Amino acid sequence: MTLLGKLTWQAIPLHEPLPLFSGAAVVIIMVAIVAWVVIKGYLPYLWREWITSVDHKRIGVMYCILAGVMLLRGFIDAIMMRTQQVMAYNAPGFLPPSHFAQVFSAHGTIMIFFVAMPFVIGLMNVIVPLQLGVRDVAFPTLNSVSFWLTAAGALLVNLSLVVGEFDRTGWLPYPPLSELAYSPGVGVDYYCWSLQISGVGTLMTGINFVTTILKLRAPGMHYTRMPMFCWTALASNLLIVAAFPVLTATLAMLLLDRYVGFHFFTDTGGGNSMMFMNLIWAWGHPEVYILVLPAFGIYSEVVSTFSSKPLFGYRSMIYATMAICIISFMVWLHHFFTMGAGADVNAIFGIASMIIAVPTGVKIFNWLFTMYGGSVRFTTPMLWSIGFIVTFAIGGLTGVLLAVPPADFQLHNSVFLVAHFHNVIIGAVIFGVFAGYVYWFPKAFGFTLDERLGKWAFWLWLIGFWVAWGPGYVVGLEGMTRRLQHYDVAEWHPWLVVAEGGVLIILLGIIAQIAQIVVSVRTREQRRDVTGDPWDGRNLEWATASPPPPFNFAVLPDVTDQEPYWDMKARAREIGQLTRPEPEYQPIHMPRNSPTGFVTAFLAVVSGFALIWHIWWLVVLGLAGAYATFVVFAWRDHDEELIPAEEVARLDRANRAVRSAALHHRQLRREVETQREPRQ
Amino acid sequence: MSSDPNRFEQFDLGSHVGEDRVLGEAPSELHPPTLRSELRGYLIGLVLAAALTAASFWALDEHVIYGPGIVMALIVFGLAQVGVHLAFFLHLTTAPDNANNALALAFGVLIVSLIFFGSIWVMFHMNQHMIPARALMEMRGG
Repeated sequence: MTLLGKLTWQAIPLHEPLPLFSGAAVVIIMVAIVAWVVIKGYLPYLWREWITSVDHKRIGVMYCILAGVMLLRGFIDAIMMRTQQVMAYNAPGFLPPSHFAQVFSAHGTIMIFFVAMPFVIGLMNVIVPLQLGVRDVAFPTLNSVSFWLTAAGALLVNLSLVVGEFDRTGWLPYPPLSELAYSPGVGVDYYCWSLQISGVGTLMTGINFVTTILKLRAPGMHYTRMPMFCWTALASNLLIVAAFPVLTATLAMLLLDRYVGFHFFTDTGGGNSMMFMNLIWAWGHPEVYILVLPAFGIYSEVVSTFSSKPLFGYRSMIYATMAICIISFMVWLHHFFTMGAGADVNAIFGIASMIIAVPTGVKIFNWLFTMYGGSVRFTTPMLWSIGFIVTFAIGGLTGVLLAVPPADFQLHNSVFLVAHFHNVIIGAVIFGVFAGYVYWFPKAFGFTLDERLGKWAFWLWLIGFWVAWGPGYVVGLEGMTRRLQHYDVAEWHPWLVVAEGGVLIILLGIIAQIAQIVVSVRTREQRRDVTGDPWDGRNLEWATASPPPPFNFAVLPDVTDQEPYWDMKARAREIGQLTRPEPEYQPIHMPRNSPTGFVTAFLAVVSGFALIWHIWWLVVLGLAGAYATFVVFAWRDHDEELIPAEEVARLDRANRAVRSAALHHRQLRREVETQREPRQ
Repeated sequence: MSSDPNRFEQFDLGSHVGEDRVLGEAPSELHPPTLRSELRGYLIGLVLAAALTAASFWALDEHVIYGPGIVMALIVFGLAQVGVHLAFFLHLTTAPDNANNALALAFGVLIVSLIFFGSIWVMFHMNQHMIPARALMEMRGG
């Protein structure tokens, strides 16, 4: 055993220009950003206000930034794959097979675990406590640990770009390919350890949010008064708590196979590789709903707000959500119909898969009926929602088609399948988080995003998506299987060229989104959200300032209605003043910032890296350090800050003043309008 | 300060709308159990748990129970053991303020059984239909 385990200079891809240059570019950019931050003197601010922050809003924003950055990384992988398939008709293309395999594996892993998950969790972090009318999540420091562990996993995945390799088995490391005999490199280990580390973070998020939603709500907020986004967040986090241990256990078994010669999944050693497929999808299918349920919640909020109507069928929406929550654990076999469980098993799971489409259909109709008869405002979040309904309905239909076992036998592992899941993940999850991002951006930052560029981004994404994945259905039906590094079928080539065009259109959409941020930040003074309610919203997140003060609410709101803020506004208009007289302000205790999350995650990266490269002394050091950090945190004496009553009063009075002014302004305008109206 | 058992509440993060409220009951005063009653509960639990453990070993003795029934007896004792732990050590009750715990348990049991029995069912059928090549050869070779 050497001091550095398996790590040698050969791990650095000095002989492969493509990963070397891209890796070097990333390293240079990161060093440049860090250097800029240090030179400008922002480091203490970042450390104090963000890195060590346990404020749910700050953590949520950091989750979303992580997701955005990783989206760029995953999207570069997508461009590389599409370009490879355009070039590789009767030709080798520009990516050698080993590199191509790493690219498609990294693309899937990153997009699911480090884009979709953190984006969804980030929006839940920012919004759920606000909608519940409380001051933070149940376990604020744990929340920070969750975030940093997720970031640690993302860092390890990106590290594999420069040091060693990433796994080449696809986004799920199926044995026997992922076993030591066929994947002797460190790729699968990078995959497993980064997901084990970020999986711990996700599980803690799940526990945190289930506790928050069940135990920590504003007075009067019964279950049947909770906003739909909180309901879907509850369902999603219940699924996290139930499903992520399955992923952790499955990957642990694979790691035992790889590290200490167990035979859970080695067919030749008495194991059963099919058990891996069975277990990974017992996690994998609920995972789909972990991602999409909060997106459904976002659409419910957005559609209701911009149709100026309460959500149609609120109770049926709750039933549908919870039904999906349970049924999502009864359909996992439809991911491997072809594996040979036989007709009766396949039939049951096929029927269950069709049944789960029913509550989803209920939701679609509810959104349509919410819009029906409302005065719909076509803002960017609303466009994303309508684009979603159309796109997702088609993606759902191809899903029901795939749920028919005989059809699945034809389409299994074809590009048709790939088109289907991109259709639902982009069309539902990604559109959803974009809708939520534009909708709640003013809440998090205090100014709205540029609408014109937002609409450009939407149309480019929507058209780009269909141009990129419409052809996928066609070539899939023509027999093209997924993950082809090169091919010689003339009929596929034109479609793949079209798909490349679609990806470039999406690229323009992403550029529009980046431009939107730049333009909006530059013109932020003109687009300030002074009242805290830019969209005429209906739930409690709009009842506080934008951005909210650290304690969210000076006094916890009293909830008497299913749409508490709408109800509050209606009463305020009736009586001509704010519903609540100025309260007697009290000092507020808030949890104190803590570097625990950051330090633990740093040590997790060290341990993960050491485990991947078999540097055992460093593993021990990292784990001992992480445990020591936990002990130091557990023994802390000073764990809260007191926000003095004067500070609470100052912040709340400012917001009350603008709200009052807005209310009077509105009334004056109404009076003027009624006087102008011609009498009949 | 760090010795305060209710430190979580110090943060004023929000009101605890417990399930009691949701089920339509007025928020009830917490009656902290006395040390004596608490100790008695744990002791009863300990005795029951120990008795069930002993019973399992006792059942293994072939002369006590009809041979093929032993497995079933062990399952029964195991489930009873789970019940004892839930009632006496994890303090799961049917009281209204325990609805969340009971629901969480039900959800957990449901999901675990779905995955557990589902996996057994799936793998059993898979093994029937997809006999490994070696086993097939052994069958043919006799």
